[in-house]
Order: sequence, then C-alpha cells, then structure tokens
Amino acid sequence: MLLPKFKFHEPKTEQEACQILTEYGDKARPIAGGTDLVVNMKKKLMSPEHVVSLSRIASLKGLQKENGFVKIGACFTVADMIEAKDIRENVNALSAGAAALGSPLVRNLATIGGNLGSARPAADLPPPLMAYGATLILKSGKGKRNIAIDDFFKSPGTTECRPDEFIAEIQVLTPPAGAGAGYINLGARKAQDCNIVNVASFICLNKSGVIDTARVILGCVGPVHLRAPAAEKILMGEKPDKVLFRQAADAAKTDCLPITDFRGTGEYKRAMVGVLTQRTLEIALDEAKKNN
Amino acid sequence: MSEYDVINSRAARLDAPDKVTGRAVFVDDMSMPGMLYGAMLQSPVAHAKILNVDISEALKLPGVKSVVTAKEAGLINYGVSPARYDETLFCSDRVRYVGDEIAAVAAVDLETAMEAVSLIKVTYEELPILLTVEEAMAEGAPQLHDKYPGNICAEVHQEFGDVATAFKECDIIKTTTFTNKRQDAAFIEPQGVLANYDLSGHLTLYSSTQVPHYVQRIVSMVLGLPMGKVRVVKPYVGGGFGIKAATNPMELAACLLSMKTRKPVKMNYSREQVFLFSRARHQFVHKMTTGVKKDGTIVALEHECYLDGGAYSSFGIATVYYAGSLLGGPYKLQNMKYDGYRAYTNKPACGAHRGHGGVAARACWEQQLDMIAEELNMDPLDFRLMNMMETGDVSCNDLSMSSFGMRECIEAIKEGSDWKSKKGKLPKGKGIGMACGFFVSGAGYPIYRSDTPHSTMVIKLTEDGGSAILYSGSAEIGQGSDTAFAMIAAETIGIPLENVRIESGDTDFGVDLGAYSSRQTLMTGHATKEAAEDVKQQVLDVLSKELNVAVEEMDIKQGRIIFKNETPDYSVLKTAYIKEHRGWTDQPEGAYLTFNEAARIAFLVKGPIVGTGKYSPPILGGRFKGAAVGTSPAYGCSAMIAEVSVDMDTGHVTVDKVTDAHDCGKAINRTSVEAQMQGSISMGLGEALFEEVKFDDKGHIINSDLAEYKIPTILDMPPVDAIVVETNEPNGPFGAKEVGEGGIMPVIPAILNAVYDAIGERIYELPMSSERIYMALNKKNKK
Ligand SMILES: Cc1cc2nc3c(=O)[nH]c(=O)nc-3n(C[C@H](O)[C@H](O)[C@H](O)COP(=O)(O)OP(=O)(O)OC[C@H]3O[C@@H](n4cnc5c(N)ncnc54)[C@H](O)[C@@H]3O)c2cc1C
Repeated sequence: MLLPKFKFHEPKTEQEACQILTEYGDKARPIAGGTDLVVNMKKKLMSPEHVVSLSRIASLKGLQKENGFVKIGACFTVADMIEAKDIRENVNALSAGAAALGSPLVRNLATIGGNLGSARPAADLPPPLMAYGATLILKSGKGKRNIAIDDFFKSPGTTECRPDEFIAEIQVLTPPAGAGAGYINLGARKAQDCNIVNVASFICLNKSGVIDTARVILGCVGPVHLRAPAAEKILMGEKPDKVLFRQAADAAKTDCLPITDFRGTGEYKRAMVGVLTQRTLEIALDEAKKNN
Repeated sequence: MSEYDVINSRAARLDAPDKVTGRAVFVDDMSMPGMLYGAMLQSPVAHAKILNVDISEALKLPGVKSVVTAKEAGLINYGVSPARYDETLFCSDRVRYVGDEIAAVAAVDLETAMEAVSLIKVTYEELPILLTVEEAMAEGAPQLHDKYPGNICAEVHQEFGDVATAFKECDIIKTTTFTNKRQDAAFIEPQGVLANYDLSGHLTLYSSTQVPHYVQRIVSMVLGLPMGKVRVVKPYVGGGFGIKAATNPMELAACLLSMKTRKPVKMNYSREQVFLFSRARHQFVHKMTTGVKKDGTIVALEHECYLDGGAYSSFGIATVYYAGSLLGGPYKLQNMKYDGYRAYTNKPACGAHRGHGGVAARACWEQQLDMIAEELNMDPLDFRLMNMMETGDVSCNDLSMSSFGMRECIEAIKEGSDWKSKKGKLPKGKGIGMACGFFVSGAGYPIYRSDTPHSTMVIKLTEDGGSAILYSGSAEIGQGSDTAFAMIAAETIGIPLENVRIESGDTDFGVDLGAYSSRQTLMTGHATKEAAEDVKQQVLDVLSKELNVAVEEMDIKQGRIIFKNETPDYSVLKTAYIKEHRGWTDQPEGAYLTFNEAARIAFLVKGPIVGTGKYSPPILGGRFKGAAVGTSPAYGCSAMIAEVSVDMDTGHVTVDKVTDAHDCGKAINRTSVEAQMQGSISMGLGEALFEEVKFDDKGHIINSDLAEYKIPTILDMPPVDAIVVETNEPNGPFGAKEVGEGGIMPVIPAILNAVYDAIGERIYELPMSSERIYMALNKKNKK
C-alpha cells in the first residue's frame, strides 16, 4: 500500500502551527508519532492534503508537576510516559495504560496527544485519563480553551478538536490522599493487541473510609469510552468491600453497549466489563489505602 | 566429547553476520538498471463470470509499458500436482475468489503501475458464492470447476486391517469431532520477485521461494520456454513454512512482463496479498472413533475428515492424504480406516503449511487419547508408552520407523517437567498436558512422477587448495540449511568449517527439490556427503600417486593429511607448493602436510577438482493408492509437555512452560535443531490460542494484516526446555533426520490437554480464545 500524496509541514512553534492549521482548515491534519495517521492514510481512510507535524515544537514535549497538576505535553511519547517518575508516582493507572499500548517500537513514536486525537474506542490512554478527570488544553489561532476529557470524544475518530485546533497539553489533577486508581486491558495476546475490553476505575475515600468520589470508565463497549453511571452510583457513599465491588461490576455491565464483531461477541464483552470493573476497583482500593 | 570435528556442534550460522547487520540481500533489496515495476489486478469479488476486460485506458496512461491478461498469457494449466493442474496464470472467463488474478501491468514506477491497474475495466456477472464445505458439498451447489463435479477436489478412501471387526473386540469406543481454523503462516518477508529476460533470450527470475527447481519447471511450462533458458535464483528468504513451496502467479506475471518489455520487472506482494494468495493451513473437520481394550491397547481408528480447500488445488491432494496417513504412527495400530474429502470453496486456496496435513488430525487424536487414558484411569504418558512403536516397526500403512527415539523423548519430558509431582495435583486454573507426534523426513516421491534425483550437489575446490565451495539448488529460507550442508561437507572432507563456502538456491547449480516436507538435511545432506567424499577421494588419489602411499593408508582430518602408518617424505610436495605460492602469506607451517598443499598439488596434476553427489530415496513401502504420501526414508518424532494457567474469570490462557523433546537422529547443528523446536512451539501456540483467518459473508478477508491476525509475540512465548534426543538414522547422512515440521505436531494437543487439566472441560474447536474458554466454563457452571 502506498501513501496518498500530501504536502508536509514542519512548524517549529505553536504559533506557526496555528497559522498553518488556520490556513488549510479541514484540508490539514496534525501528525505526531504517525502510528495511527499513517496507517489510516495507507488504507486510504484519510487523505489530508496537508500533514502538519507537531514533533518539532519543543513546547509540546514537556512534562511538569505544577500547582497540584501533572501537565503532559501532547507530543510526550508513550515510551517516556512509562519511564516518567511524576506519572508513575502520582497517576499510576496512566503508567499502566501506557505500558499496555502496542509494543516498544510503537511506543517510541506514539504520543499521548495522538492517542486522544485518534479517538479509538479501544485506545489505552483515555480510560485512565478519564478516571483521573483530566483536562485537555486546545490551542488555535483564536486562542486556547480547556475542555474536560469526558466531553472530548464524539464518535469513533471524531473529537471536539476543530480542524484549526490542536491538543497542546493534558492536565491531570494530582489525586488527593485516600485516592487510588486501576487500569486493566484484556486482549488476545500479551502485547501489540487491539483490546477486547478495557476498564479504568478511580475511587477516593474520605476520612471515615467512605467512597466520596468514584469514576468507572469502560472502553471498547460503545462508540466512545463510557462513564459507568450506575456503577459509580452504587459505589458513592459506601464503604468499599468485595461485595460492593461485585454489585458495581454487575451494574457496569448494564452501563455499556457492546457490539458483536470479529473480536468477540457482545455477550462476552459485557461479561468482561464486569470482571475488569471488579479487578480495577480492587487495584484502586489497594492504592487508596496506601495513599491514606 | 563428540567423535566429530564439525557436525554435532553449535557452530555459528554462516548467514548470521549478514543478517544481524542488515547486509543480507533479500529480493526486495535488489534492483537493476532500467527496471520496471509490476502490479496485479486481482478480483474484488469471490465468484463471477468475466464478461469483458478492457485494458485500453490503462495502456494510455503515460509510463505504462505493458499490460497483460489471459489473452497475452495463454491458458496453460498449472498447479502443484500434475494430477490437479487447475490454475491458469490469469483468469479468462471466471474468477473464483477475492484475489484471483486477472491482469498485470509493468510501468516505470509502482504508483503508475497501480494507477494503471485501477484503470482496467472488468465487467463481472456475479455468481452465488460458496464459503463453507457444507455449502460446497450440498446438492445442487454451483460448480466451481467443470472437471470436478460436486466441488470435490480430491477424496481418499483407505482401510488397513478391518476396523469394523476390530471394534467388536474393544472395551472403550470413543468418538470426537474437532476443528481448527484456516491459518496464515505470517512469514516476515512477503513474496517478491525480480524477473529479467535478457536480450539473448535467457530468463532469470529472482524470487522469494522455497523451491527454485519447481518454479523453474512451472515457469518454463507456462511461458513456453526451454528449461535451459530459465534460471531461478533464490536470494536470502525470510521464511516460507510451505506457502512458498510452489509457483505463484506473481512469479509468472513478472516473467511474462519482462519478456514483453525486455526489461527487468520487479513485483512484491503487500501483506494483504500474502493473505489473498494464502496457500497456508486448511480448516479441517475431523471425526475420529478410536477403539481400545481394557488393558489400554489401541486397536482401531475410524477417521473422517473434511477440508475447506479454497478455490484451487495447490498442495491439496497431498494434504488430504497426509491428514489420514500420518495417524498410522506413532502408536502400534493395526486397523485404520480413513475417508477424506477436500472441497472447493470461493476462498483463497489452502496448501502446505508446517506439519503438512497432520497438525489438526494430530490435535484431535492426541486429545481423544487423553480422554481415553482418563477413562482407563491410566497416566496418559504411560498409556502412550505402552502403545508406542519402536525402532524397526512398520505401521499398518507401511511407514517404516528405521530409527525411533520416542521412548527417550517421553522419558526426557517426564523428567524435565517433573510430571509425576504435577499431573493431577495442580490447583484449579493450572494445568499440565502432554502429547506426541511424528513426521516425515522428506517426501519419498517428488511432486511430479520422475526418476530425477531429489538432490544434486557439486563441490569444487578452489585452485589455491584453500577452500571448498558447494554449489546447490537447495533453499536456505532461514532454517539454517546452508550451514548444515557446509558442516556436512567440512566434516566429510576433513577440513575446518571456515574453509567451506556455499552458493545455493540457484537452478544453475543443479537439481534440488527444495525446502519442503522436512527433506533437505536428509536428502541434500546425503548429496553433500557424497560430493564431499568424491572430492576427498580425488585429492587422496593424487597424493597416493605422488607419494606412493595407498589411499586406504591416508585420511584427512582438521585440515591435515593423516598417514595411518609410516609418514612418507612429502618434502617435494611442500617445495612445489611454496614455489607456487611465492610471495604469498599463506605458507603452511608445522610438521605435517596440510589439506591446502594436497589440494593445490591435486589441482596442478588434474586441473579443477570437482566432486559431485546425488540423492534418490530408496524404494519405499506401500503399493496402495496414495502410498506415496506419507512414505519417507525416515521419521522424526517428538513429545511435549505444556503447563498452562487459565484465568477462570476471563478465560485467558497463558502457557507458562514447555518441555519438549525431539528425536532428530544425529543433530548436525544442535542450535539449529533447538531453534526449529522453539519456532514450532511458537507457531503451534499461535494456532492453539489466537490465529484464525476470518472472512465476511462476501468472501473478503477481514483480518489480512498482522495487527488483527494475531501470531504470538515474544511475550506470549513460554520458557522452553528443548531437549534434543539423538538416534542413529540408518537412512540419514551421519544418522540425521528431520526436525523442521515434526516439531509442531505435539504442540497444539499438549496445550489442549493442559487446558483440560486446568478447567475440567474439553475444547473441540480452535483457537482457544479467551472467549471460547469463558463460554465453556460458563456452560459447565450452568450444568
Ligand atoms: C502496531 C500498532 C499497535 C498499536 N497498539 C495500540 C494499543 O495497544 N493501544 C492504543 O491505544 N493504540 C495503539 N495503537 C494506535 C496508536 O499507536 C496510538 O493511538 C498512538 O498513541 C497514536 O499516537 P501518534 O502520536 O502516533 O498519533 P498520530 O498517528 O500522529 O495521530 C493520530 C491522530 O491524532 C491526531 N493528532 C495527533 N496529535 C494531535 C494533537 N496534538 N492534537 C490534535 N490531534 C492530534 C492526528 O491528526 C491523527 O488523526 C497502535 C498502533 C500500531 C501501528
């Protein structure tokens, strides 16, 4: 398969990137690692006339812990995410998501911004980021805006990001004491797999050991990653234990809309939503107890 | 300490430095001045009449040099077995699967060639499609080939002994049905070619193939060229596993385009085209009934098998025979009945794939034997040992086990895995299982009926006497055959391995049937040994005359001439050599006569020292119809134990450890033997757990890439204890026989039996995906 023809742009600054994206609008597409876009272009699913690389823009590659936030540049690579102490120590479920993505070769190129920009319902980074309640900073010639990650994905392959905009940064609030999160992905093999189901859970315990925040995110079982409201409702205001988690897991199964496809039946995916919800909650609880 | 100087060691592979540094030349690395690029038009529909092919727009595109269709190519039938030549280079009136070839284009670059392909207009009249064996064999089904009514490509009916009577003596009769899924071999290098028809009318085809000789024959036949004008050269090849063991349409199309344009033409399959060409493992449905006596004696096997063949025969006739014949062993079985059917369907053709024909059958039977052992309350290992054939035994279908280290294999894995303390004692979710297998060490007959030697070898000594060069048509495809032959030659002549070089994979060097049916180590190995003995004899003959010493009193070892009795005065020869090599830095030192000196003198006396060897198998057993498929000069055998963990909530299977033993006769290169065992395990594990080529209801493959067709990654591979069991195979060179394919035989059933041990449920359908295991557990819980 050959790539379709396109013009390649390599802006060195965010401002330059904004200009190019404004000029070409929906004829342009940003590229970061290219591990998703190039595949789609070769399959002729996308053929942007202008491909705008964000990889030369130094300000998009940073990682800082600042004002209670972990701030990750959109072009930070997935391989670097696994290594980053600030991510591992503060938002470990995101490290787990990064470690589950592709293979070492893919991770060396793949970026966090590209993972969100691709908007694949099976992607590995959205569930932990949604579990932590991350915020995305979008930039364009018109300025910048913040958007909650829950509002970002619209359908497979489409997001809130306008054609003239790009994701500049991902901000994750450092979880407070008593919080913990877990992420698990289920695939056929141990690496380089498209997930069958993936789930992330986040809970925060108050001083008396009661869950006062709960977020459960389900991947591969809807057009976008889903929050599991029924499961979250069961968890809120309760003391965590195995029985509660089982009830939440059963509720999560009703929170999703899995389809039958060549990767698995809807029935199996729904059942796995239950198993993974239970298991990620257990990981979250272990971590929450440690962080108290 | 080995009694050998070169073989039976862990000598480093000759191709390793080139491969690890990226210097090895594969066909896609090659280019030639003025080279054109080719592309092919393949059918987008699974079954249709071709009403019209219009190439006029394609021809008008600037940069297009030639467009060929059935009109230009003609309609000469070809295929694998002459009994079933059911393909033509291009379809003329009908397409039978998504991917069937209709036309090819040569242009100045690939973009232009592909654009031209998109400009060819084909008018189709779509026909009903057949995607399963049931549909194909149903009454009134549309016929895919006029010559093969009922869509039956081949059927086999054999009975050895008397099964019906034998069943009457049995205490346990067990029937099971089992199915695997269509596979892709997923070799790392997609097929590619570079064809060059030169201005004097000679055609050279560089191709990623396992079988230069067969490709040469088919190219000559289809394109109407004398064989002497066709040369096929195999550069380094990145794996084949059977799929590259026959001619593909791209090879023929590139040659035709080069003949038309008088320019070199390069073509490649994309990964999607690798899947479309297919020719990999069939989907088999096996129904087996085994009868056993109370004491555990296996008495009879009744076996029915259906193969989903795809649109053409490819290797299919051999496949349907192998699926039956390879159950003749390794157990002493007197009564065996087999009915096999291969059906045509509107899918890519299936063919030969590592463990040809026998893998799914072995999985089905070894699982069933495990079930029987359980019913008999016998350790499955002891049950197998008690029924095992031994060296010298001949199976009911005339397979002769001239060496058979199966008992040693079973003992080795039993010990190595600590079976006794694990079998039946593991917690829920953990399991251990074993299985056995055996395989031919080279097909006893070529694909076409012929008395042609299966292998020839030419060894030439360099004029300076320093090196031996092997010239062979054999195919190094990554398995290490070049190194094995160089080692055999070095051992036989008596010189160090570093003084041997091999040029192989070129039809100009001789006949070799190539890399399939696990034949080269035994067959090409024999030819190599014979050629090396010839060379050695010639050198010693000259020495004998020059020194007046009988040949029998001399030998060559480690590059030196050995005088068994009195050492003669050879100073004249040394002086002659020094004179010849005046000013050179390679003057031999030490108080002995070197092979270099002796070979140089031999050249001065005789001219070129060229030794030749050939191999034809001995007359093999079996006079019944189909006996040619399964008979071999020797059989390798193996036994394996798998240990698994099953996640009881998700159904996910992890293979934790494998203990594997294989009897390869004498190991020529121990590292290569272990590597074949490891590779077999990886391939079998993928087929057991993940792999399946999937189609939509229009016959399109929906996972024709290595993201969605899931072969194991290195993280899915368990630690493997690969135990090499050595016997002395009388029909093998230095006692050597196969390991390449036999290694895969026990893998799937060992995992099946281990999963059963872990979950208490039998799985009768591959792959054992998490979902399939989960559903089985669910059904069990509901019971
Ligand atoms: C073999 C293989 C295995 C894979 N395995 C996994 C896996 O296990 N899990 C998983 O989640 N993914 C997987 N992927 C998909 C892909 O690697 C990831 O989604 C990766 O994170 C994409 O990042 P990238 O930088 O390469 O994105 P790109 O390909 O550069 O871009 C992806 C999309 O996002 C857009 N984009 C990129 N950057 C931005 C930005 N800053 N702002 C706005 N839009 C942007 C692009 O326009 C494009 O549409 C795999 C891919 C391959 C090839």
